Amino acid sequence: MNPTLVVLLFSAVSAGAAVLGGGPFLFRRALPISQIGWANAGAAGMMLGAAYILLIAGLPRGGGGVAAGALLGIAFVTLTHMLSGTDDLDLNRLDDTSPAYGYQVLFVNSLHSASEGVAIGAAMALDLPFGTFMALAIAVHNIPEATVLCAILTGRRVGVASAAGLAVATNLSQVLLAIATFAIVGAAPATLPWAAGFAVGALIQLVMAELLPESYHQAGHRSIALVAVLAMGMVVFLQSVLA
Amino acid sequence: MTGAALTVLLYGLITALATGLGAVPFLFLRSISPRVVASANAVAGGLMLGASFGLVAEGTHYGAWQTLVGALLGVVFILVTQRLLGDHDIEFGRVRGADARRMVLIVLVMTVHSFAEGVAVGVSFGGGPTLAFVITLAIAVHNIPEGLAISAVLRPRGVSVLACAGWSIFSSLPQPLMSVPAFLFVEAFRSALPYGLGFAAGAMVFMVLEELLPEAYNRARRPVVAVQVSVTLVAMVLFQQYL
Repeated sequence: MNPTLVVLLFSAVSAGAAVLGGGPFLFRRALPISQIGWANAGAAGMMLGAAYILLIAGLPRGGGGVAAGALLGIAFVTLTHMLSGTDDLDLNRLDDTSPAYGYQVLFVNSLHSASEGVAIGAAMALDLPFGTFMALAIAVHNIPEATVLCAILTGRRVGVASAAGLAVATNLSQVLLAIATFAIVGAAPATLPWAAGFAVGALIQLVMAELLPESYHQAGHRSIALVAVLAMGMVVFLQSVLA
Repeated sequence: MTGAALTVLLYGLITALATGLGAVPFLFLRSISPRVVASANAVAGGLMLGASFGLVAEGTHYGAWQTLVGALLGVVFILVTQRLLGDHDIEFGRVRGADARRMVLIVLVMTVHSFAEGVAVGVSFGGGPTLAFVITLAIAVHNIPEGLAISAVLRPRGVSVLACAGWSIFSSLPQPLMSVPAFLFVEAFRSALPYGLGFAAGAMVFMVLEELLPEAYNRARRPVVAVQVSVTLVAMVLFQQYL
């Protein structure tokens, strides 16, 4: 298969996986807050694992570029949070039904998956099988993340199908950025360590600024840490077994 | 053989002393506000996460399964230690309660991690002592931020700078002590190495997620904590890979 098609296919699988996040709401109207916390922690752990495997794979291609890219990635996430006024936003306000909050949450989620798209594109450019693993890891990560989004949306009386659809829609930036990153790195291979570094920095910053802080208010510190460390370990372990 | 072993021990002691340098930045720190505690936690968290990335990368190089088993045991080790500490009203200097527990845990975790690192050093020395000086210098430099992580947790809770340096050096002592037997019996220790590296990484990541990060988020703004953790994490990985 044409490599660009591989990127398109697997980043689409990753974005589409978000639909599964709506699953729990077919059976229950709402989830206990602790389960929302564990969904956040699981998503955070897998994302930290994804950042780890990309960092270790990217470093041999140029430590300087990876370092500079990582700082840019951290700066990108921080600045977009600041400029959009979402840097102190509680992303899991289940009872806030104001229109402004709804748009902010959808916006933050779309930006979030854009960085994941860069991660998929850079990983694909490093090595297609590695990139495929990265896309699948992000796909699984997208499920609990979409569950959190669906909890907010169904709380606002959005139907389950529409909520799951919106979760996929906010992940479409992933497909776009995966292909764009893959194309740019393919055209200018020198940008590979920068792209990988950018994704690493952005993913870590997203974990630390969006996913973890909320989770600690939703469930006990111990259970959050356990879920996150197991999710991270799973990604790291599977990657090193498959490599 | 004994001459070479003594050389390994001597070099190892130098690397342990270097850990004490991690306390130096705290000579310049005057006031200790909640923001400083948050920053210190964030920096220590980033340093420990970065250090575990390095440990996992090395561990999976020897064996993915063994590293995973080691990491799970490391998490269990922290859970058991917390249970044991929870049964007693522990004191660390003049500090009691949750703060004292964090202080005991960080010294314990970093000391345990030095055991694994000591074995790693001994096994790598086993290849021949020609590079001994370079490796020693590298490890000595590599140890400084680990002393910084310990001091960042101890100093804001009232431990003197000198005592911070002392605890930092103490936490590194297992490194030379373990490196000698590992150097003499490379084959036997090589098979235990991935378990040890995984153990140290699991314990460190779990402690960061459960103890250090939630406290940091409680005491400072989310984006500030996030940037501090992310930048320190990436810097630590690059620092330990290239120095």
